[in-house]
Amino acid sequence: MILALHDIVVQRDGWSVRADARFAEGIHLVTGRVGSGKSTLAHLLAGSVVPETGRTVSEGITSVQIGLQFPEHQVTAATVAGEIRSWGLDPQVIMPETALTDKSGVNPLLLSGGELRRLELACVLRKDPDLLLLDEPFSSLDCKEKNALCHRIENRNRGITIIFSHETWHLPRIDNLWEIVNGTLENRGTIPDALTRWTGAPPLLRRLIISRMDAGDGEVTRSGCRMLDSVFSQQ
Amino acid sequence: MIRISGVRCRCLYLPDLTLPEGHTVVIGPNGSGKTTFLSLCAGFLLPEQGTIEIDNEPPRNRDVGFVGEFPERLALFSRVRDEIASSLRFSRVPADSIPAQIDAIAQVFGISPLLDRTTRTLSGGEIALVALATALISHPPILILDEFDSHLDWKSAQLVTTTLRSAPVRYRIQSTQNMDLAAKGDYVLYLDEGVVRLQGKPEEVFTALRDSCYFPPSWRFPP
Repeated sequence: MILALHDIVVQRDGWSVRADARFAEGIHLVTGRVGSGKSTLAHLLAGSVVPETGRTVSEGITSVQIGLQFPEHQVTAATVAGEIRSWGLDPQVIMPETALTDKSGVNPLLLSGGELRRLELACVLRKDPDLLLLDEPFSSLDCKEKNALCHRIENRNRGITIIFSHETWHLPRIDNLWEIVNGTLENRGTIPDALTRWTGAPPLLRRLIISRMDAGDGEVTRSGCRMLDSVFSQQ
Repeated sequence: MIRISGVRCRCLYLPDLTLPEGHTVVIGPNGSGKTTFLSLCAGFLLPEQGTIEIDNEPPRNRDVGFVGEFPERLALFSRVRDEIASSLRFSRVPADSIPAQIDAIAQVFGISPLLDRTTRTLSGGEIALVALATALISHPPILILDEFDSHLDWKSAQLVTTTLRSAPVRYRIQSTQNMDLAAKGDYVLYLDEGVVRLQGKPEEVFTALRDSCYFPPSWRFPP
């Protein structure tokens, strides 16, 4: 399964993003500053944005799903149970996963930000598509939910997963790191070497990577940074 | 001083709570009542029971700047420049003084290139920064930010934190899921299932959360 972008340029209002990339099966993390084009790229890969130039080529991908940055844009039903059904899924199965069982009749737009995110993520993950695009999936989740999401993503075990995020700590074990810098998508390679090439690395991650410092006693594991945990456990 | 007594609202129960001036950070699991708490402090919601007073006045009598969790929902105007100007225009500030104020605040938050764009075309982080500029331009004494930083990369979040530290805001009440940011507050409230489980200075609250994922990563790995 391969998703390739050839000389892609998306142009908007005096702003643009360029990409020339190949996404193989596995977990990819795409990072970049506010307004660098992460969401635009996510929509491009989902087919909902058409580039000015370039083309997208996919092999073996028969299903695509996107979890949107603002989960309320995904809502199409007036109740939580109805929302789950609108995805073609069974509320009896999904409700327990979201811990929203007592809220099946509630309007999804009246859930808290984190609860709504949890609902939409549970649905999009359950669809288990060949290409899974997650735009800022960690945003508004509490740390326990972020950790649970990291496990869910890692356990997918198939297809291409691309996470677009500026999360600084609760990140899953990933195969490939990408960064949008000066309007261009750049491949930083595989973990752990990619982490030293990550120009926008969050300061704490950078310090721990450079010092190769494991505080011992499972502190990294306990803190919930699975990406870093995977680096130290390889040593 | 913010005094809250006998308040019930939705899932929240706050029998007796006093918040000092400065930067209060509200943390806790999803659905614990953080947004309800902030909406009460902003005067968007009225308590079903009990009272809230900010310097002896109900929140609705005070000027409050507010940035919500879904900032694109609150944008009223299509052009960024008009959105930022709105709070000044609504309070009848002389029109000829407004453009300079917009340019100044846009520069502070690095959003000058966005001023002539439409709010609809902005990214999630950009609209959050525009919402913050809109809230701050009229210098409200109370600023309420609901998981505002969840839309920002760490560099933008750092810029905002530094800027807000010197802003003349008497009460800043902010919810966040970034515990390193929460650790920089003056006062921390940990909400769970609608009640305040822990409160106090960051050292006090986070010491009690030492074995949980709520403990700030930067404290776990000190330099």
